[in-house]
Amino acid sequence: MDLASLVSCFGSSACLVTQVTSGLIIGMLLFLVAAGLTLIFGVLKVINFTHGAFYMLGAYFAFSIFKATDSYVIAMFGAAVATAVVGLIFERLFMSRVYGRNMLMQLLVCYGFILIFDDVVKIIWGAEFRSMGMPAIFQVPPLFIAGGVVPPFYLFLVSMTTVIGVTLWLVIERTRFGKIVRAAAHNPSMLSVLGINTGVLYGLVFGLGGLLAGFAGALAAPVRSLTPGMGFSILIESFIVTVIGGMGSIVGAFIGSLLIGLIRTFGTVGFPLFTDGLMYLFMVMVLIARPTGLFGKEIA
Amino acid sequence: MATYRRSGISRRAVVEGAAATAIGILAAPMISRAQAKPIKIGMPTILSGRVAQLGTSSRNAVMLEVDKVNATGGLAGRPIEMVIRDSKGQPQEAARVARELINSDGCELLIDAEASSGAFAVHEVARDLKILCLHTNSETSSLTADPKQRIPNAFRVCRQGIHDSIVGGAYSANVANAKKLTKWMTCSPDYAYGRDTTAQFVEYLKHFKSDVEVVSEAWPKLFQPDYTEVLTKILQTKPQALYSCLWGGDLTSFIEQGNIYALFTQTETFAVNMADYTALTVVKNLPKGIHSGNRYIKTFPKTAQNASWADAYRAKYNEYPTNWVWQNATAVNFLSAAARKANSADGTKLADALRGLTIDSPFGSNGKLTLRADDQTLIDYAVGWGTTIPTEPYVPDVTPGDWRQIIELETEWKKKNNYT
Amino acid sequence: MRPSLRNDLVIGAIAIVVLVLLPLVSPSKALIDFVIRAASLGLFATSLNLLIGYGGMVSFGHGLFFGLGAYSFGLLMQRTGMPIPVAFGLTILNCMMAALVIGAICVRLKEIYFAFLTLAFQMFLYSLIILWVPLTGGDQGLRGGIPRPPFFGIDLADQKQLYVTSGVLLVAGLILMRHIVESPFGYTLRMIRDNAMRAAFLGINVFRIRLIAFVLAGIFGGIGGIIMSLFVSGAYPELAYWTLSGEGVFIIMLGGISTFLGPLVGTAILLLLNDTVTRFTEYYGLVLGSIILLFALGLRRGLTDVLVDYWHNSRAAQAATERS
Repeated sequence: MDLASLVSCFGSSACLVTQVTSGLIIGMLLFLVAAGLTLIFGVLKVINFTHGAFYMLGAYFAFSIFKATDSYVIAMFGAAVATAVVGLIFERLFMSRVYGRNMLMQLLVCYGFILIFDDVVKIIWGAEFRSMGMPAIFQVPPLFIAGGVVPPFYLFLVSMTTVIGVTLWLVIERTRFGKIVRAAAHNPSMLSVLGINTGVLYGLVFGLGGLLAGFAGALAAPVRSLTPGMGFSILIESFIVTVIGGMGSIVGAFIGSLLIGLIRTFGTVGFPLFTDGLMYLFMVMVLIARPTGLFGKEIA
Repeated sequence: MATYRRSGISRRAVVEGAAATAIGILAAPMISRAQAKPIKIGMPTILSGRVAQLGTSSRNAVMLEVDKVNATGGLAGRPIEMVIRDSKGQPQEAARVARELINSDGCELLIDAEASSGAFAVHEVARDLKILCLHTNSETSSLTADPKQRIPNAFRVCRQGIHDSIVGGAYSANVANAKKLTKWMTCSPDYAYGRDTTAQFVEYLKHFKSDVEVVSEAWPKLFQPDYTEVLTKILQTKPQALYSCLWGGDLTSFIEQGNIYALFTQTETFAVNMADYTALTVVKNLPKGIHSGNRYIKTFPKTAQNASWADAYRAKYNEYPTNWVWQNATAVNFLSAAARKANSADGTKLADALRGLTIDSPFGSNGKLTLRADDQTLIDYAVGWGTTIPTEPYVPDVTPGDWRQIIELETEWKKKNNYT
Repeated sequence: MRPSLRNDLVIGAIAIVVLVLLPLVSPSKALIDFVIRAASLGLFATSLNLLIGYGGMVSFGHGLFFGLGAYSFGLLMQRTGMPIPVAFGLTILNCMMAALVIGAICVRLKEIYFAFLTLAFQMFLYSLIILWVPLTGGDQGLRGGIPRPPFFGIDLADQKQLYVTSGVLLVAGLILMRHIVESPFGYTLRMIRDNAMRAAFLGINVFRIRLIAFVLAGIFGGIGGIIMSLFVSGAYPELAYWTLSGEGVFIIMLGGISTFLGPLVGTAILLLLNDTVTRFTEYYGLVLGSIILLFALGLRRGLTDVLVDYWHNSRAAQAATERS
């Protein structure tokens, strides 16, 4: 425990800026993944444990596309779209068979796929960890903002995730598709009565979740070592975020991600050996106080 | 011909087996006499999951050496047959697998290529079943240093944390003196290896340079993908020097992420596990001037035997040798030498022969390696530190550690911990 | 004595006799290890089924008690060398107290929130185990083996005797749990599972029944942990990690929830799979994942469910042909 450093950090603007920005960096990436997870739960009432594997696939796709095209933009969008397609196929062929069944059956299907995806990735890309490397435009020294250190790539990451997040919100709130999705979350049977193909809709929602996870993976790839099974840790964290924020609430996922990001950064300063425990403690406290999470069950 | 059972026998293996047979027949007429029953050696290791490379490279190394040993008659005339099995990195699986290898698969001894917690589990199996066990990948000193852990039939044939720390401390103190580095920070993974190694390094650094101060510590989780909060903490602290025992994929991520914060231009970095091809060849923008201990590097020892050994491994497996590779190869070499000395492949006789045995090896600091008799662990292996450059050979010059100094300080350390 | 209990005792006695005689017939030592592990995991999975199948309470954190049992027992033996039965009893007491406290907080919650909170508690315990290095050995676990002093002439350092003892514990545990499930308490629990509101209106203290079930499950889960700690002669943080809770859930799904012995069947399936697949390939995930999908998407129920359905269908078909 290092409370002295924690207190002195709160007093220094440089420290505050650096730590808050790093909390943002962690939080925004987490938000992309958690948003997809919570969206799928809100509409389909299914916890997609395979979501971490989507993130992993996004990262590996980005790695390969970048290697082939040398363009990070193509790699990013390509990976996101490819993962969206995987999500769509996964939903139509497999998840749709276990709707309405025991939650444990759904969990089982997801877990089976996690195992399969991890080994498939291992077969295609190898068991050793891979590194995508930073795209050339970002290989520049970091910026200094109010005394705090901010690398340009992370600035890009935060802006990208903000753009994606705002777009997502706009889609859900302002488009016809979004209206249908929200309606599906509230009353799915009414939708089919109205003649809307719920099957296709569900597939698209899963695809959207996959798109978000794929983006997250592609954004993380330049600064991670890629390895089969890399989806696990982000799955756990985004799971915690959605539980804290409230399953089905995108706003909740946003707030939850930021909170977790800040707990991580300030926790590392004050409690370097117990940062994980701090996160679980926070989760326990929120669940005891508000079992449905901070923002309940509705979408956005 | 070397035979082994592993997951799916590839065509390559068959071709290689045939080639080995041909060489064997041509090279050693003794082969025809090796009609004796093969000796099965069990090898629990990690072939899946994040650390799968540990197992796959250990396996490669063992097979490379076993082929050579079998070509000259095997162990006391008995050809070696390896039975290699995956424990998935779980200690209870490692225990089960080790027991199964001995009880059901007829293995007579074990080459334990587990990482440290698995190694402790296998150690208990060796204690219960009283069979010869060579640990090849566990660097935790207490496995052999602690008399309560020690058993007469278990040996450690790999590097040890305490040795690395002493050498690292001595080297780093020299650099610190030259560059006046008194304000230090550590950043290591939060688990037993990370904590013990870091604590020991700091202890010996201070032993050699008393005015060093560690002003702050960061403890990311093992396999943590995102080092942002750790890096910002380091940047806040602005240490003159940074020590880290992160390894493998974690080290790679840390370097990549640290680069975008331009960390390595501001801080003298001592990353004990950097000089390992697993990190050196993967990091896309390797900074220069990172101080590192050797894990396995072709240029150290700077001998022809070492270089040609590395080339042979690379030629056969199309990958760079890892630190796990030299350790496992050495285990096979020791077994072979012990069998010759004892003229037997019996576990107890081999154990007696191994105690205090010295062999020639490309990995020895003076061309030789010894299994010290009193605590049955490896000494005199090549250990040293150097600085990195971004291209091959990556670490052109390595300053070797002084084994007399190492042993002297190690003895003090044992006394302090009541390990004598 | 209730006839069903008498039957169970007879079957149990026969099972134990078979277990004792088996090594004489088949000298395979792998069988001995297999039975010990099956006893450990089987008790764990069956105790979890008390919550999931009979109580309708899906816990994602049951591995907490397995780990707690393993560590408590291991630590007591390593630190004090007390007689094994005493350590056994104290460990059960420890699991009971933990289950009481955690259960009191958790069982009020519904379904998925109960699942999350139990998981959070388990991961919190896991973090503590990793952190509290002087007590637990941190991520390396309890090393150096645990002493196993003989008691009442039984020497658990001898693998064969551990085998028989585990078998006896398994049979005894199963009989006890079956007895619990078939008792009025068990019926009440199932009533709550089916319709908690109606049970409450009938005057049943839902909270108390659920809490008792949670505690009982915790105790038997802990016994599973004790057996595992004897098998590995130590304890490792992996035994308290959430993946163990996940394994418990899969075992129950694979084995089937329509019979009491379903979880035990599931345990046997998982262990057999694990042992055979790892002998032949390092792509264990691919194989296990495919088999899980086969059960989840193909059969859509566990093995005993399939067998029970088949038996019912053939009986119905037989009755139909008899009538015609």
